[in-house]
Amino acid sequence: MTANNYKNNLNKFQSLIALIILCIVLSLLSNKFFTASNGVNVLRQIAVNICVATGMTMIVLTAGIDLSVGSVLALCGAITAGLLKNGWQFPTLDLFVGFTLLGAILCAIIIGAFLGFFNGLVITKFKVPPFVATLAMLTIARGFTMLYTEGHPISNLGTSFAFIGAGSFIGIPIPVWIATVVVLIAVFITKKTKLGRYIYAIGGNENAAKLSGISINRVKLIVYSLGATLAAIGGIIVTSRLDSAQPNAGISYELDAIAAVVIGGTSLNGGRGSIWGTVIGAIIIGVLNNGLVLLNVSPFWQQVVKGAVILLAVIIDKIGDKKE
Amino acid sequence: MNKRLRNLTLLLFFIPTFFIKCSNKKKASKKHSIAVVVSTLNNPWFVFLAETAAAKAKSLGYETKIYDSQNNTALESDHFENIIVSGYEAILFNSTDANGSISNVLKAKAAGIPVFCMDREINSIEAPTSQILSDSYSGAVAIGKYFTQQLHKKGNYVELLGIVGDNNTWARSKGFHSVVDNYPGLKMVAQQSADFDRNKAMEVMESILQAHPDIEAVFCGNDGMASGAYQALVSVGKADKIKVYGFDGAEDVITSIGENKIAATGMQFPKVMAETAAEFADEYIKGRRDFPKKIPVAVELVTSKNISDYIAYGKK
Repeated sequence: MTANNYKNNLNKFQSLIALIILCIVLSLLSNKFFTASNGVNVLRQIAVNICVATGMTMIVLTAGIDLSVGSVLALCGAITAGLLKNGWQFPTLDLFVGFTLLGAILCAIIIGAFLGFFNGLVITKFKVPPFVATLAMLTIARGFTMLYTEGHPISNLGTSFAFIGAGSFIGIPIPVWIATVVVLIAVFITKKTKLGRYIYAIGGNENAAKLSGISINRVKLIVYSLGATLAAIGGIIVTSRLDSAQPNAGISYELDAIAAVVIGGTSLNGGRGSIWGTVIGAIIIGVLNNGLVLLNVSPFWQQVVKGAVILLAVIIDKIGDKKE
Repeated sequence: MNKRLRNLTLLLFFIPTFFIKCSNKKKASKKHSIAVVVSTLNNPWFVFLAETAAAKAKSLGYETKIYDSQNNTALESDHFENIIVSGYEAILFNSTDANGSISNVLKAKAAGIPVFCMDREINSIEAPTSQILSDSYSGAVAIGKYFTQQLHKKGNYVELLGIVGDNNTWARSKGFHSVVDNYPGLKMVAQQSADFDRNKAMEVMESILQAHPDIEAVFCGNDGMASGAYQALVSVGKADKIKVYGFDGAEDVITSIGENKIAATGMQFPKVMAETAAEFADEYIKGRRDFPKKIPVAVELVTSKNISDYIAYGKK
C-alpha cells in the first residue's frame, strides 16, 4: 500500500517537474510570461478544460473514455443561451415559457447529466464499448446543437449572465473559482468516498471488483453522468465568456481533456492516476498555448510543438513506470 | 447457424437499399430538382449561403436538398456521386478546395449536370458552367486602405488569421498586406491563427495582449474572430482604445459597428451570390446556355459612417 502511494506521488511529481521546467524556459524566453496578470489569464483560459478534464479523469480511471464532451458542451451552452434569450415555445400548444438565469443554467445542467446518463446506459446495458457509444453521442449532440441553433450563434445574453465568464471575485476570475470547486469536489469523491474507491477498483480489475460485490453498472452510470454534467458546466462558462453560444463550440475539446488526463499521469487502462495530476496536465497545455502565442511562434509550428510535448510527457511517464 | 443468420440480415439490409435507390431515381426524374453542396454548415455564413440558395431554388419550383461537405473534399466527392446517381438537374456549389474540387465538378459535367459555383472559386475555366464569386482580395484591400487611414499610417497592430490551410485566409491576408505593408510606420507585432473561431480568437487575443499591451488595432480574417477579439479587449478594459477590423458582414459584427464597438468589416453578399446561382440554374434547365464564366461580386467596406445602409449579410 505504501509502495503504491509512493508510486502515485512520483507520477504526480513527474508532471509537476515538467510544468516547472516549462515555466522556467518560458520565463527566460519572454519577460511577459511570469507576471500576475498573465497567470490570471492562463488560469481563466484553462478553467473550462479543467472542468471537462476532471470529469474525463474519473471516466478514464474506470478504464472508460468519453469522446462526446465537446459536443455536449456545445449543446448545453446553446441551450442555456437559447432558453435565456428566447425561452421555450411549445410547438403544438400555444404556450410560451420564459427562463430566469438560474432556470436556464439548471436546465442545461440537467440535460447534460441526462446525456451522460444515456452514455452510461448504452455502455452498461447494451455492452457497447465506451469509445463507440460516446463517439455516437459526439455526432448526435452536435446534430442537436445545429438543430437547436439552426447553425447560427445566439448572442447578446445580458450582463448578469456575462458575469459568470467575465466577472471576478477578490481578483480571481469566476471561471477559476468554479473550476476550483469542481476539482475539490472531485478530489473528495475520488479520495474520501466509497464511490471513489469503487472507481479505482473497477479500473484496476473489473472482474475482481465485480466479484467483491461492487455494482459496476451503477458506478459507471454515475461517472458518465458526472462527466457530461461537468462538460455542461464548461459549456455555460464558454458561452458566458463569449457572450454568445457558438454552434461549433467545443470541437476537439475531448482531445484537450484526454491530453490533460494523460499528461497528468492517469493511465488510459484505468485504475491509476489522480485529479491533481490532470489539473497539472491542463495547466501544462494552457501554459504551452499561452507561451507559444506570447513568443509569436508561427501557427504551423505551434501544432508540432504541442504534439511533441504531449508525446514527451507520456514517454517520461512510461520510463518512470518501468524503473519501478 | 450464427453465420447464416448474419448473412440473412445482411441480405435483408441490402435488398431494400437497392429498391430505395431505384425509387429515388424515378421520383427525381418526375419533379425537377437542384442540389446545393456547401463546404461547411459549421459556420453561420455558409449556413446562410446554403439556405438562401435552397430557398431561392424552391421558390422557382424545384425540389432541393443541402449537402454538407464538412470541409472535407473526399466527402464532397461522395456527395457528387450520390447527386449524379439521384438524377439532380443542377448543382449550386460552394467548394471545399479550389483545386481539389475540380475533379468533382468535371464528374458532374460529364454526367450532363451543370455546376454553378458560389463564393469560392475553383481553378478551372471549363468545368463549372458559371462562377459567382466573392472578391475577397479586393475587399481586404479596401479594409487595408481604411485601416491605414484610421491609424494615420503609424502604430503597432496584430493580425488574426483564419484556418492556415484555407484559400480565403490567404486571399484576405494578402489583400490587406498589399496596402498596409507599404507604410513602414505600421508594424505588425504578432500574427497568429485563430481558425476562424470566436472562442479561439478570444483566447489568442488575451495572450497577445499580455505580450503587446501597446497595440492600436487588430485585423481579423473573419467576423467571428473579430467578435472574439473584441470580447478579449472588453475583459481587459481596452475596447475603446484598440480598433477591431473584421470580414464577412455577419450579424453580430454589423450590430457592433452600429454601436461603434467594431471599426469596420468587409461586407460579402451571400444572398446575391446564392440567388444569382439559383436563377442561373433555373435558366439553364429552361434552355439558356450563354452564361458568363465568372461574375465577381464586390466586397463592400462597412464602417460606422455607412452602417445605416447595411443589414447582416447584405444591403437594406
